[in-house]
Amino acid sequence: MNWSMIWQLFVQTLDASTPLLLAATGEIIGESAGIANIGLEGIMLISAFTAVYADSAFASPLLGVLAGLATGLLLGVVHGYISAYMKGNQIITGTGVNLFAAGFVAYSIIAFFHVAGYYTIDLSLTVPKIYGVSPIAISSLVIAVLAYYLLFKTQIGLAIRACGENPEAADSVGVRVELVQTLTSSIAGLLTGLAGAFLSIDWNASITKQMSAGRGFIALATVNFANWNPLLGIAGSFLFGFFWVLGEWIKSIGWLKQLIPVDLFNTIPYLATLVVVAGLIGRSRPPKYVGVPYKRE
Amino acid sequence: MLDGRLKEYLTGFAEVVVAIVAGMLIGGLVMVIGGYNPVDAYYQLFVPSLTTGYGLEMTLSFATPIILTALTFAVGVRAGLFNIGAEGQMYMGALGAVIFGAITLPSILYLPLEFIVAAVLGMIWGVIAGILKAYRGVNEVVSTIMLNWIAYWIVESMRVYVIPNPVDASKTVSVPPAGRLPLLVEGTELSAAIIISILVLIFTYFLLWKTAIGYEIRAVGYNPLASRYAGINVRRVALYSFIIGGFTAGIAGFCEVAGRPPSYAITTGLSNLMGLGFDGLTVSLIGYNHPIGILLASIFIGAMKAGSRNMQIYARVPLEMVQTVQGLIIIALSIPGLLRIISRRIGGVR
Amino acid sequence: MKVYPDGTVALRGVDFHLRKGEIHGLLGENGAGKTTLMKILAGVLKPTRGVIEVNGRRVVFTSPSDALKLGIGMVAQYPALVPVFTASENIFLGLSRRMVSRERLVKLMNETGLKVELDAVAESLPMGVRQKIEVLKMLYRGVRVLILDEPTTNLTPVETEELFATLKKLRDQGVSIVFISHKLKEVLSITDRITVLRRGVVAGVVETSRTNPEELAKLMVGREVLFEIKKKPVKPGGEVLAVEDLWVRGDSGEWAVRGVSLAVRKGEIFGVAGVEGNGQKELVEAVTGLRRVEKGRVVFLGRDVTNRGPQELYKLGLSHIPEDRVAMGLIVNMSIIENAILGLHWSREFVNSFGVFKNKRIVEHALKLVKEYEIVAGNLNSPARSLSGGNQQRLVLARELSKNPSLIVAANPTRGLDVASTEYIRRKLVDLRDQGKAILLVSADLDEILELSDRIAVMYEGRFMGVLDSKEADVRLIGLMMGGYTLEQARGMRGVENA
Repeated sequence: MNWSMIWQLFVQTLDASTPLLLAATGEIIGESAGIANIGLEGIMLISAFTAVYADSAFASPLLGVLAGLATGLLLGVVHGYISAYMKGNQIITGTGVNLFAAGFVAYSIIAFFHVAGYYTIDLSLTVPKIYGVSPIAISSLVIAVLAYYLLFKTQIGLAIRACGENPEAADSVGVRVELVQTLTSSIAGLLTGLAGAFLSIDWNASITKQMSAGRGFIALATVNFANWNPLLGIAGSFLFGFFWVLGEWIKSIGWLKQLIPVDLFNTIPYLATLVVVAGLIGRSRPPKYVGVPYKRE
Repeated sequence: MLDGRLKEYLTGFAEVVVAIVAGMLIGGLVMVIGGYNPVDAYYQLFVPSLTTGYGLEMTLSFATPIILTALTFAVGVRAGLFNIGAEGQMYMGALGAVIFGAITLPSILYLPLEFIVAAVLGMIWGVIAGILKAYRGVNEVVSTIMLNWIAYWIVESMRVYVIPNPVDASKTVSVPPAGRLPLLVEGTELSAAIIISILVLIFTYFLLWKTAIGYEIRAVGYNPLASRYAGINVRRVALYSFIIGGFTAGIAGFCEVAGRPPSYAITTGLSNLMGLGFDGLTVSLIGYNHPIGILLASIFIGAMKAGSRNMQIYARVPLEMVQTVQGLIIIALSIPGLLRIISRRIGGVR
Repeated sequence: MKVYPDGTVALRGVDFHLRKGEIHGLLGENGAGKTTLMKILAGVLKPTRGVIEVNGRRVVFTSPSDALKLGIGMVAQYPALVPVFTASENIFLGLSRRMVSRERLVKLMNETGLKVELDAVAESLPMGVRQKIEVLKMLYRGVRVLILDEPTTNLTPVETEELFATLKKLRDQGVSIVFISHKLKEVLSITDRITVLRRGVVAGVVETSRTNPEELAKLMVGREVLFEIKKKPVKPGGEVLAVEDLWVRGDSGEWAVRGVSLAVRKGEIFGVAGVEGNGQKELVEAVTGLRRVEKGRVVFLGRDVTNRGPQELYKLGLSHIPEDRVAMGLIVNMSIIENAILGLHWSREFVNSFGVFKNKRIVEHALKLVKEYEIVAGNLNSPARSLSGGNQQRLVLARELSKNPSLIVAANPTRGLDVASTEYIRRKLVDLRDQGKAILLVSADLDEILELSDRIAVMYEGRFMGVLDSKEADVRLIGLMMGGYTLEQARGMRGVENA
């Protein structure tokens, strides 16, 4: 193995970890304030579609990214509003978003691109790379560090975390719990939207109806792994991202292919996620009020 | 008191209707944006499948597997778990049944063995998530989704490499005629599977409300701490719930393979199975996780699925629109007042 | 300052006036409306009718922070701190960056004598310290009206004395303090004026210097309810429960029970007193098989049952009346009938060999319990949450006793109950003792312990400070032990006092 191979492995892992890290960072912020969103998967998928749509309609990757961000933001606001102000059941809202996304994207690929299930964009329409590295991938690292600073080093972060740990205490000193929760949920949506845009118009240059492929849920596992700390989120998403690369790499080994059905290697990232999460027992501590709507007496 | 309970049921029913209407309205908007006529689409979606004999028979045939996958989710919620693994458990069940297409047996053995192996594989797939939850504290939302994907790729690789159909590359071997459930109405897809499905529904109802195990499941779902204080083994109850859920989902896979013409097999990319688990989730939520509600809701969703082909042919709307509307209905349902009853049960999954 | 709140249920036309720089006692029984009144003043609840005036100006609070802005802050019975935050993070929560100054906070601590370790995580601190943090949080925001809801409930006598000294100091600095309590002695010793509430109305407002305990008690209770429970002389039989050198961990892995030994005999009530959070909960859970015993033995009816699990213990004849009926004793969303068999649901009386319920038997059982224990219930198919607190507790008691136990473990069995239900349950426990049952009573209510127990142990930081006969016990002696003195030390101190 030489340096260029290591570099390549690093870039591949970085790519595979970027959607996980973005969504996980957003979700850490959201869950710290008490809002869990299991609809990350769906948000990622819809944003991946709208990014492709805007990108090909205006021939502008920038507008594509913005469309992905806007889509994620919108879904994050909706989820936050239903969860925080309307005291909805967060798990069910998220499930609804996932179901909606699966149908909507499959429908839209046919309705708008007139192909079934799979649409590719020209490579010239993908997000331009910097020295072979995606700028979105680099920003995902920066965003994780900023999120850490926000949550643990500022008064705003104190207020956010108080909403997830003891919303009543936050309310009693004037923190507007519902507003904070809606905003953090919006940030979670926004970052997940960026993850979606990265998947479609940066990494894969295509959109399929199964583009997110469970990544939204692996991001949830990453949140758990990271113990709600964005810096550990970087480590977690690299770990889970690496398994994705590993699966692809093993698939390319000739003699193994003869021995074992190649599709079986697609299970590697999911199996690895299960194993890692199962090994985490007792190591992580979620915010106490995550998933529980705050109701003033 | 009966009045009070009746009122509660009626309110619940009204809430569901409101959510369905809201979901369909927004769905209509999505169709308008896509350049389709929503009135036409909804007409094609519901009217033939609920007013014609053939339509109703097809509706029931589509209700068959989703009654079973709905039970998977419902038994989970009753125990305070968010088991969204019916999809993968159903894949494994289908695999368990279709394998017999490649095995020669005395013909009387096919159906019982298909049933048993499907149920067992479904239960195994369910109990993995159960063990991870009960003994390793793994959130069942994450684990069941991972298991769904693992099941997907296992079944898909089996389809391609182990039990491919020698004449038609787009599917697995078909189960032999002796391994197929009889059709109830010739020329439709309605087979005796619907009877199995309803029997399992009744069995589950009985189990939940008339037995000590069901009592423990419901008790843990409402209040795990008090259950523990009452000497109930909360971990074991989680396992029961996943096993029962895996059983019903496994049967759903069996019903699709042994009970749906013309293929009696698993098709490319699991296309004839895909989504049936999540349809069950919708059905269970709409039906308030109650067996009777599930029966009614399965007819509604079954009608949509039966009508989706009409909609695609006559209104030219892609049949994926059906799932889009389902998602919107669920989002509308998640708003409280609308979803009062189950919200109480599944406050937080962690 | 003037208040005319008017809630429909909890409060009816209450006037309450608080002067600058006074400590004002708000006295009343459980459920008299003290806390409701103060929550309205602190902006937590909204009054149905009535007005609040601050310094002569009419105000409307929509949230606690509105009240806080006008200088009114409330410290709840269980301090509303963020458990994972440090003391300083809790104090600074919600402030903008320029309002945050550690020096100012340290200065405040020195001025008031409220000293806490600023970098300690709140959940690791004793209740007394958490209360101080909460008070500091209020004062740092310039609160001039401080409302304390039953602040001494979770404090040891020593901590209480410290708190009182601080409150007097604050009053002298011009802070107005509302001191909510149902303890006559405390109210008399610390306040300047007292408002007595009874069932949502003001029963009287008196100057502390011109009143006496008898007058206050009359105002508070309104009638003679102080019941006395007659007990036959104790005739203990054989040992039913023996606990030997028990070590148990708490929820966060710390040692909660550190080497406790005890024995409960037939026909006696063994009382465990102590300020809450000193390991009583863990002791109860370990004895009833709900929590792992790390070291030591639990022997029940001569059998070693250490770590055997609740199911087995229940079968052997243990009944458990847990401290929180809604969270632990009942499944309030299930019907009264279903709750009547909770824990008995595998009994062959109620299920056949396939695990299917015998419906008729179950209904008969529920009807029997309801009749025997005078439970006031409408429809037995309605959920248990529809019962009142007293009736819920009767249902728990009825169910547990229907197991025909030889040992009853009761934790705070009358907490939050009305007088009639309290009396009913206490009498029942004494009856059971007279019938020869063994009873382990764990209670934070000192009166309850003194009234019912034959022998009393006092628990402090996971250890017994001593076990004494009820004849020797009195409030002072037990109070000292609750504060961390051993029985011998406490005896010595009382001896000095008496001499």
